[in-house]
Amino acid sequence: MKPLELSQILTDSVLEIRGDGKAGGGLVLAFQSLGNLYLRDPEIHVQEWPFFSSARRGANIRSFLRISRRPIQAACEVTRPTVSVLMDEGAARSVDFAQGVPPGGTFILNTRHSPEECARHYRLSGRVFTVPGDDIGVKHLKAPIGNVSVYVTAARAIGGFGIEVLVDAFLQMLKKRHVPQAVVDRNRAALLATAESIREGVFDEQEPGRHGAASFAGYGALPVGAQTALRLSQSNRTADYAPSGLRLRFEDPDVKCNGCANCITNCPEGIIRWVPDAERGVLVTGVDVSTFCKLCGECIAVCPETLFKELPFEEPWEEVVAS
Amino acid sequence: MSKTVSGPIPLEHRTTDSGEIYPGAIDLERVRQAHIPLYEKREQITADGNTAAAIATLQMWRCVIFAGFPITPSTKWIETVASHIAGPKGGKKRIKLMEAEHAVADYLAGASAACRDLIFPTATSSVGLDHMTETTRSLGASGLGNAMIIDVYRATANYPLCIEGDPSDALAHRDDGFIQISCRGKQQIYDTILQAPVLGMHPDVMTPTMPGYYGLKDSHRNARLIVEPDREIHAFQDAWIQPCPLPGLINGDTAFGNCVTSRWFQGFKLAQKRRLERVLELLPRIGADFERRFGRPGLAFFDSTEWPADGAADLAVVSMGPDFGTFESVREAYAAETKLKVAGIAVRLLTPFPRDAVRRRLERAKVVLVVNQAHHSGRGHLTLDVADALSDLARPPRIVSAFAGLGGADVSQPTWERMLEHARGALDGGTLPPWALFHEGVEL
Repeated sequence: MKPLELSQILTDSVLEIRGDGKAGGGLVLAFQSLGNLYLRDPEIHVQEWPFFSSARRGANIRSFLRISRRPIQAACEVTRPTVSVLMDEGAARSVDFAQGVPPGGTFILNTRHSPEECARHYRLSGRVFTVPGDDIGVKHLKAPIGNVSVYVTAARAIGGFGIEVLVDAFLQMLKKRHVPQAVVDRNRAALLATAESIREGVFDEQEPGRHGAASFAGYGALPVGAQTALRLSQSNRTADYAPSGLRLRFEDPDVKCNGCANCITNCPEGIIRWVPDAERGVLVTGVDVSTFCKLCGECIAVCPETLFKELPFEEPWEEVVAS
Repeated sequence: MSKTVSGPIPLEHRTTDSGEIYPGAIDLERVRQAHIPLYEKREQITADGNTAAAIATLQMWRCVIFAGFPITPSTKWIETVASHIAGPKGGKKRIKLMEAEHAVADYLAGASAACRDLIFPTATSSVGLDHMTETTRSLGASGLGNAMIIDVYRATANYPLCIEGDPSDALAHRDDGFIQISCRGKQQIYDTILQAPVLGMHPDVMTPTMPGYYGLKDSHRNARLIVEPDREIHAFQDAWIQPCPLPGLINGDTAFGNCVTSRWFQGFKLAQKRRLERVLELLPRIGADFERRFGRPGLAFFDSTEWPADGAADLAVVSMGPDFGTFESVREAYAAETKLKVAGIAVRLLTPFPRDAVRRRLERAKVVLVVNQAHHSGRGHLTLDVADALSDLARPPRIVSAFAGLGGADVSQPTWERMLEHARGALDGGTLPPWALFHEGVEL
């Protein structure tokens, strides 16, 4: 497995990039910034657009980017990207962010983990870049948002511009949006901090048959009303919409639940556990956060005893032994 | 002792068959002088389709009031315009935020009628356009060519809900009376919006316009956009737009206010049809002038790709929108592999459909593959138009009808290849179904 040369692809054909993340997580801005950067070269053509549905903040979204020295004709989605970006590891619970990437492709992950750990965990073959973008965001931008870091990392992976140009292009874009100078300065610090925090390596961990391009076998039977099943959470893992790193917790050691049932009636996913109770009518005993809790906060808002809380949660990291 | 009595100063006016006209009621020169240019020289910027649409409307001195109802995520036109107007270059331009789309269309009607020499734009999408329907049909018949509804195409078959781009909303409004022009790519969006009012306000046309582009696929796609200096845009538009010869509120020629008997109703409809047909003569002239001034293709009936000099394509594709670009990306390889002459057109003028021009372009093709992207209970809206255009020929090409990209679904390269292969079956005289739906390279 030899890493693919991105600058050569950009010159000879079209460099295709795909990103996975969550709505509100900065993926779209990162891709717009990249597109904006490469449009600085008048010889380069760029096409960038997001894909999202009507779902709320936290839902999985995708972004696409094509960069080429030749006019770009294709308008379809990118299904075999040479570069794959994972903005939010929570998004990878729902989609295979490496799907369709050829061996030798480039992977860019916003994570605290090392390139080696990510290559093993996600079974990646190619160049793997990691950057702790959320941490950089918290430190400099006061929010766990990795768009600045992913922008710098992707630009470095593709090549063609020095850090001074990267910083200038990004800040110019912010200024055009009339962002206050203090925010511009914080972004400058985040951009420069990212340059010091990127790690990379080349790995060959992909197993045969893994990350193959998706095939479409038709819709099967779609009887009248089937759209209801497609929309309801029973077939959509709405827990994937929840912000990463947080989880709902129900605690009632002193049995304060008064049986008002507000949480039961307000939960849009029907995941509150309860038992019949002779005195209260119902007694809430817990909440199943495994599949459908999207942290909408309804239960937290309506519980008079404040028995529901949104607490930090460390995602389990499965350490896979290299094959 | 004398006493001076002051009263209303009578405005200069004259009487026409359509009512009283007050040419000096609005000082157009003051409106023009109040415009603060966005661009002093040609520039390259990065923009998505919605931004391109917003910039184009903001650059016209005749656009002063921007009425709208937010319809995110399809179009942020009103937000983008409002953001600019709140800034240092906003000048005297004003936003009129309405409580619903129907109210927006009503506002357009009133404002357009109050001053027929200014341009009144808005943008909407899907059910937003549907909500306007009661008024759009009146507007279409009104003779108010200075009203412009920018439509971000989105599926109107709202069950199940889908927010991606398909042109069923525009196609459901084919007979509202608007001139409907489809765009692909932000440059075409920008250029079309600059030209559309010129066409609509021509005294022989006087018909409102509805430029449109695909939701998400073009509305949210960023790329390089060339913007022209405001003064050049003004020079282009002012060369075409003359003072409207009719009063602000035309009683006789409008659907507003008057109720007529059927005898007269069809007379007005006849006049409306004839005005629309004049579009077919004027549009190429306006497009040619735009190209001469700005160096880019102007308005056209359709975009063509790779037509043989003698017009005798083996396989001719008819489609619209940005997915046509994906066809262009596979065309050469497919033609080489099959040794067929493969060509295509992307329709730009939807209404009135340019049937003569389409017939002339397709008449020597062997097979015509029409790709429809909106739900239709028959063979497809576009197929019916193409079939009608070719119906006068003694030996018309065989028409193969396909659907792809419904609801804005991706139309991938394998899908185009599969559709071409499907149509190729007709070259050998094979029997094909009346229509077929394709997705991800699969015939469904």
